[in-house]
Amino acid sequence: MARSRVNEAGELMSANRNSQDADIQRTRNGAIMDFPTTETSLDIKGLTLAYDGKQALRDLTLRIPRHRVTAFIGPSGCGKSTLLRALNRLHDLNESVTRQGSIHLEGHDIHDPRVAVAELRRRVGMVFQAPNPFPMSIYDNVAFGLRLQGGLSKRRIDDVVEWALKSAALWDEVKGRLRASAWSLSGGQQQRLVIARTLAVEPEVLLLDEPASALDPISTLKIEELIGNLKPHLTLVLVTHNMQQAARVSDYTAFLHDGELVEYGSTDTLFTHPRLRRTENYITGRMVG
Amino acid sequence: MNIPGHTAVPPARSGRWRGGEGPWAWWCAMAVALSLLMLGALLVLLMSRGLANFWPASVHQLTLADGSQVIGVPVETRQRPEDAGSERRYFTANRDASGGIWRWVNVEDIRQDSAPEDLVHIKRMRWSDFLGRLVAVNIDGRRFDGELAWQRLEERLDEIRQQRQLRRELEATQIIPLIRRLESSNGPESNHDPGSNSDDVRIHQQLAELQQQARDLQSGMTGAVLILETAEGRRLEQPLEEVDTVLRPNAMSAWQKVGRWSSGVWQYLSEGPRAANTAGGVWPAIFGTVLMVILMSILVTPFGVLAAVYLNEVAHQGRLTRLVRIGVRNLAGVPSIVYGVFGLGVFVYGIGGQLDEWFFAETLPSPTFGTGGLLWASLTLALLTLPVVIVATEEGLARIPMHQREGALALGATHLEMLTRVVLPMAMPAMLTGVILAVARAAGEVAPLMLVGVAKLAPQVPLDGEFPWLHLERKFMHLGYHIYDAAFHSSDVQAALPLIYATALLLVLVILVLNLTAIFLRHYLRTRHGAFARQ
Amino acid sequence: MPDTPTSDFSAQSPLHSHRYRQRRDRLARALITAGGIGVLLAVLAIGVFLAVEVLPLFLPFSSTAPELELSALWQAQPYADGLEYRWLPYRLDEGEAAYVSLVPLAWGTLEAAAWALVLAVPLALGAAIHSSLYMSRPLRARIKPTLELMEAMPGVVLGFIAGLVLGPWVEQHLAIALTTVLLLPLGVIVLAGVRRCLPSSWRLVLSLRWASMWLIPWLIVLVWLAHWLAPLLEGWWFGGDLRLWVETQLGWDVEARNALILGLAMGFAVMPGIYALAEEALVDVPRDLSDGAQAMGATRWQTLTRVVLPVAWPGIFSAVMIGAGRAVGETMIVLMASGNTALMNGNPLDGLRSLAASIAIELPEAGPGGTHYRLLLLAALALFLFTFLVNTLAELVRTRLRRRFRMLRSDS
Repeated sequence: MARSRVNEAGELMSANRNSQDADIQRTRNGAIMDFPTTETSLDIKGLTLAYDGKQALRDLTLRIPRHRVTAFIGPSGCGKSTLLRALNRLHDLNESVTRQGSIHLEGHDIHDPRVAVAELRRRVGMVFQAPNPFPMSIYDNVAFGLRLQGGLSKRRIDDVVEWALKSAALWDEVKGRLRASAWSLSGGQQQRLVIARTLAVEPEVLLLDEPASALDPISTLKIEELIGNLKPHLTLVLVTHNMQQAARVSDYTAFLHDGELVEYGSTDTLFTHPRLRRTENYITGRMVG
Repeated sequence: MNIPGHTAVPPARSGRWRGGEGPWAWWCAMAVALSLLMLGALLVLLMSRGLANFWPASVHQLTLADGSQVIGVPVETRQRPEDAGSERRYFTANRDASGGIWRWVNVEDIRQDSAPEDLVHIKRMRWSDFLGRLVAVNIDGRRFDGELAWQRLEERLDEIRQQRQLRRELEATQIIPLIRRLESSNGPESNHDPGSNSDDVRIHQQLAELQQQARDLQSGMTGAVLILETAEGRRLEQPLEEVDTVLRPNAMSAWQKVGRWSSGVWQYLSEGPRAANTAGGVWPAIFGTVLMVILMSILVTPFGVLAAVYLNEVAHQGRLTRLVRIGVRNLAGVPSIVYGVFGLGVFVYGIGGQLDEWFFAETLPSPTFGTGGLLWASLTLALLTLPVVIVATEEGLARIPMHQREGALALGATHLEMLTRVVLPMAMPAMLTGVILAVARAAGEVAPLMLVGVAKLAPQVPLDGEFPWLHLERKFMHLGYHIYDAAFHSSDVQAALPLIYATALLLVLVILVLNLTAIFLRHYLRTRHGAFARQ
Repeated sequence: MPDTPTSDFSAQSPLHSHRYRQRRDRLARALITAGGIGVLLAVLAIGVFLAVEVLPLFLPFSSTAPELELSALWQAQPYADGLEYRWLPYRLDEGEAAYVSLVPLAWGTLEAAAWALVLAVPLALGAAIHSSLYMSRPLRARIKPTLELMEAMPGVVLGFIAGLVLGPWVEQHLAIALTTVLLLPLGVIVLAGVRRCLPSSWRLVLSLRWASMWLIPWLIVLVWLAHWLAPLLEGWWFGGDLRLWVETQLGWDVEARNALILGLAMGFAVMPGIYALAEEALVDVPRDLSDGAQAMGATRWQTLTRVVLPVAWPGIFSAVMIGAGRAVGETMIVLMASGNTALMNGNPLDGLRSLAASIAIELPEAGPGGTHYRLLLLAALALFLFTFLVNTLAELVRTRLRRRFRMLRSDS
């Protein structure tokens, strides 16, 4: 059913080549969906977001697999960061946002009025483009989220801080100066500190909003390595400008354009055999991003 | 160069200022220089006059053309309006002997001008100062002359000072609280006999004993009399207990003068006013100013921060919020006297009058809270400075980068936790700046206080050992109002002038220190936020 | 990856737990909202309070002011011989005919503010232009806070200096004061001319960038020179005595506490505020504009008058407005340096009485609820409305200007 309409559109270049993947579907607005077969962590259905009446996301449907890395790519202003912020309801800060559609985290509707937003955000952690450690010591930064939960002993916090810093591959660099200001760290270290801070509250999903765009190549490499190490334990969602990075790090990739999902599938397929010309144009750099 | 089709560019107009910036640029530079000069001149004037007041000036003895003698301290010389000659004003003191304390002398009439070492300058409790000679000292009937008189005089003066101190303490710590208790236990409205209450009887007895004690101390001070001689040769007898200090300025070395100067400054800072605010110290005014400012900042800080946090962090950022923000900003420009009117109408007459009816009905019609007082003054100034604190705090809050807030929220912090743990600590320097600016403004503000609670003379500070220790309903003295009062309501402005200079200098210094603190704090804040920006 | 001390990453917890923290958050938000709105209302209540208290004056059948004709507030009343504007509110209490015209007070207020602005605006604008255009950076970083300190000078001190020190002095030495005013701008130009003839090494030392510093000693010399020149000037033009000349030829009374002295003190007080805002407006003008003009060979002064000022003038205008608002409401300086006589004449050497000073003097003695009390509150309301409107206007102009600058910047 879907395939015939794709042919009509004339965009699908190799529809039959991957016909063994029974999951290829076309959504209402014509995007190619190659649904992952693993278990779903975040299930986005028909999501439309508008700021001040201006649509930022249009009727977006997407399933994000558990314990995999999913990358969102697309030209700037395509809505990939907006989508990321919708996943932990950070867009709530902006009052002029209107929303249609739903997002489910492990089967729970995150917009259910009974949901405690703070708890949702603990479970869906986020790392931002620019490292944003708080103006406190390294230790206090990592312990910040833990202390919010309350009821933890000093000893337990010490343990978790150490564990989180080790998980973020920062422990060896800072173990001697946990009481130093977090702002004394280098940019790459700061970003790993932010990741450690987020890991400390044990999220299930980690959203990464261009985590390496402000960093030098070596720091970028370290962050990418870290993402790989975290994959067995966490669902990771990565927004990136950098095509190579998406190809290197992610298992699945979604290409967004103009607030719409254009193509979604396993990273290998998307980068080597994109089904739509728009996707190909973008990943080969023929579309100005 | 000639370009075909173009007429040659006319040569630049050659004027006197060709190549330079022209006269206006120099006048602009003059504007800055003139402003700085005026500020500097003001500060230098206050400094020199304010501090010179405590320096023991040398006393001159003049012989005039008509043979008369004048003893005095030269104050100023000016051209006579009538002719080309000049005249000089001398401070001759001795109000009791000659009626006035100033004398204009034509400079040409001065035949002889000397500064003999035996001239004395006596500061007295009454009749202002004395200038002249010390003839003898009579102590308990024995008469001492010459150098011996000086020795005895100074020993005796020390004793008297100690006794005076003792008496003052006795009055302040024991007698006045007792009288207060008596007043409160039988107010003017109660009609029962003061003796009927056994408690009252006990208090009356205690009071009588204490007053006897005070009288004993007082009589212990009497007995010594100075025999003085004025320039005209008139003899005066001056009881020593009414003398504050005795100096021979012409005989003092520079070091002695420095010592005298510093003890004069100390007396000025630590004592109460005398002679209708034209002499003595300003301690109650310093205390009143500081106490009021502290109360004000305790009131203004939480409310100002609360309003700023609401405006910037909680309120919906729409047109209404923007209007309210402009409104608050503009209230900082509303004249302080209008706030005074509001304080008088709402706090004093409105709330204060109501409080009196409810809780202090027995003392009516004499008001307790229904008149200006410490509490209402602090509240009025808190309202006056509220916009300053709100604006400064808001600026601090707005400068905190969004990603710091998002970082906290992304870790599962609630809105409140984000505010208290990340945003407010980061906005702390801005809040402090706001509060310091508010304090600096409040310390210099006088007009609203005239309506809501300063007193011309309130030697009793509003903080003492008597329950409830801090008396919010009392009137208090204020440095700024002290200046106004001494300058406009004293009978002899010329006599009060040195002290006004000193008070003005003190007030300016306090305000300058506060402002400098705010400026440095803001500088520190900017550099720190520079670090934010690099993040 | 090291072992986690916890059991599992994806330990499932229901999304709607942590009721306590959530409830605390909601409660705190409600409290902040209530408190914030309360504080803001309290601050904004000032205008409402004044209006409510003043209202009975205008109600036709109010019991408070049966003896008061409203027209007496702004119309001349028969007094002695002829119609005059008089402010004699104490007669209200004695039941006599009321002379409660607010006109002389409003006149005094505006006259004082006008003189303050006449003195403050040229100083402030000149200083703003110099420090934004010519002054060296390190010097500017020092001068700005210094002028801020000038603004912090308490009014009571300025009033004291003006009323008790400067006023009597100027009354005695009118000629010196006049000569100084004339000599300062002249002397500066002479010095600038002399500087042009100096060798270039000297001219580097005496640069315009540092002019505000090295001009100070020259100004002191000029003031001293004025002392010396004044008698000559007085002899040539005014028959030896300027004061006599003013009194006989112009028919002006000369008071020690007069509008000019008052204007000087108040100008001193409002100048730093105007300076700060005007300088901000000048500095905010996008650099590209002035750079472009200078690249075409304009001097900095030409750039200023032809490019920068036309763009920045709304900012400068709003700075002057805010200064005017401050001058109108200033109380202590007027109280101490004006003589407080409710006169209505244009003589700058005579005294005046302002609305604010009248409130400060009379309100403590006017009983609450009486006509005199309400009249004074009317005066306060007038002050409040005037300053509020002026400031709002200035604020609107300023925000509009900022938006324009932002657009200019984003264009370039």
